[in-house]
Amino acid sequence: MSKLKLNLGPQHPSTHGVLRLILELDGERIISCEPDVGYLHRGMEKMAEKLSYIQYLPTVDRIDYLAGFFYSELLCRTVENALGVKLSDRVKAIRVMMLELNRIASHLLWIGAFLMDLGAVSPFFYAFREREQILQYFEKVTGQRMMNNYFVFGGVRRDVFDLDDIENFLDILPEKIEDYNKIITENPIFRKRTEGKGVLKIPAALNGGITGVNLRASGMSLDFRLRDSLYSGFDFRPVVLEEGDSFARYKARILELEESAKIVRQALNYLKKGGDLEQDLINPLTLKLPEGEFQSEIEAPRGLASCYIKSDGGKAPYRLKWRTGSYYSVNLLRKLLVGEYLNDAIAIAGSLDIILPEVDK
Amino acid sequence: MNISELKNTFADCELTTDKIIIKSNLKRTIEFVKENYGFDMLKEIIAVDQQEKGIELTYRLYSTDDEEDALISIFVKDEAESIVDIFDSACADEKEIYDMFGIKFIGNEELKRLYMPENWEGHPLKKDYEDNDNRLNWNE
Repeated sequence: MSKLKLNLGPQHPSTHGVLRLILELDGERIISCEPDVGYLHRGMEKMAEKLSYIQYLPTVDRIDYLAGFFYSELLCRTVENALGVKLSDRVKAIRVMMLELNRIASHLLWIGAFLMDLGAVSPFFYAFREREQILQYFEKVTGQRMMNNYFVFGGVRRDVFDLDDIENFLDILPEKIEDYNKIITENPIFRKRTEGKGVLKIPAALNGGITGVNLRASGMSLDFRLRDSLYSGFDFRPVVLEEGDSFARYKARILELEESAKIVRQALNYLKKGGDLEQDLINPLTLKLPEGEFQSEIEAPRGLASCYIKSDGGKAPYRLKWRTGSYYSVNLLRKLLVGEYLNDAIAIAGSLDIILPEVDK
Repeated sequence: MNISELKNTFADCELTTDKIIIKSNLKRTIEFVKENYGFDMLKEIIAVDQQEKGIELTYRLYSTDDEEDALISIFVKDEAESIVDIFDSACADEKEIYDMFGIKFIGNEELKRLYMPENWEGHPLKKDYEDNDNRLNWNE
């Protein structure tokens, strides 16, 4: 059989944005894969050098539009650490609640989109139905459904309210997850297309810089939330599965929904006690970081994310760098797809939860 | 991480408060640190243009056993050793740094323009980059 070069994307509906893969095929088998990214490059790092910190803050939600809170949190945290600002317990609880709700929303969207990649249309609507409740709450509190711009340097923009909405959502979530398990997890066609496909072992994952759910589905218990001071006092366990195939990555995200819901419940119980925000906001107009290098990191839904700022004491950073999880997942596809069949390529690439704005920055 | 041992092996390294600054032997140092101290993951490579001092590359390694970071940094002009043989994830970072700072990583076969178009001149994150390209004035 002769070799064939096949172009996949960047407008392919199941590449979740504008990922282009140049595949080389021998019959149906992939012998090499070259990702081509950059269709969504917005110059996030260059932009930071031109804007003051407060001007830059609303743009960082767009790095990962499905998990914008995480990148707001990262920028705020880096600035707060640099200035030595401490957060009150209530602000911390609000941030944790918003972050984990965002993680649930992000995973729900992924479940819907992943099943859509595999040809199942209805799970998409079920997942979006649940995600809608979270987005409506975000809209109520932050004024925006996705690009929330809710965290500010030193605290949050306003206190949370209508906590019963969250409570109702948490009450129905377990039965919805039960439904997903019945419709998706136990579906023989779905299992045939994902079990044993795209197996990722721990050494290859670490070597490729893979973190987050994708790494935990391979059997390594590495969750940066455990060492995160924001999450101290919350009781949760990282979800670890052994197989490392597409199915394990799916399963891990389903289980993580429950784990995140547990964290949200704890934060909610704390917030329900009431109390003042007690936040000491940093005046954005006079905000300047001292000279030096600052870095902070967080466990985002797509792996470890970190923000590095080098400041020369000016109004804008001298250099700002983002580390995003998806970028390394795309890089991993070069190795992971080799030897697999073409009809599994979409399923494997989808299972890594790649989102392109995060890759292109 | 016991730094004195590293100094015996590589005489020209220097320790600041939080990172190890080396002058040469980048690839050998990283291999040494990976094999002897259990730093099994490369979190990222950070490039900063320090103008007259050159471009600083900081390699942020992570040990999953000890849960700690090690920062190894080196100043380069326009060439550096590639470490893709040691960490596959370095390939992603090196591609990005090549595009944004114009550093050629010797040993990395996949270097080409990543985010910018192939015919783009200049490297945007360098401090001497002039963004007066008339292609940017598309709406005038």
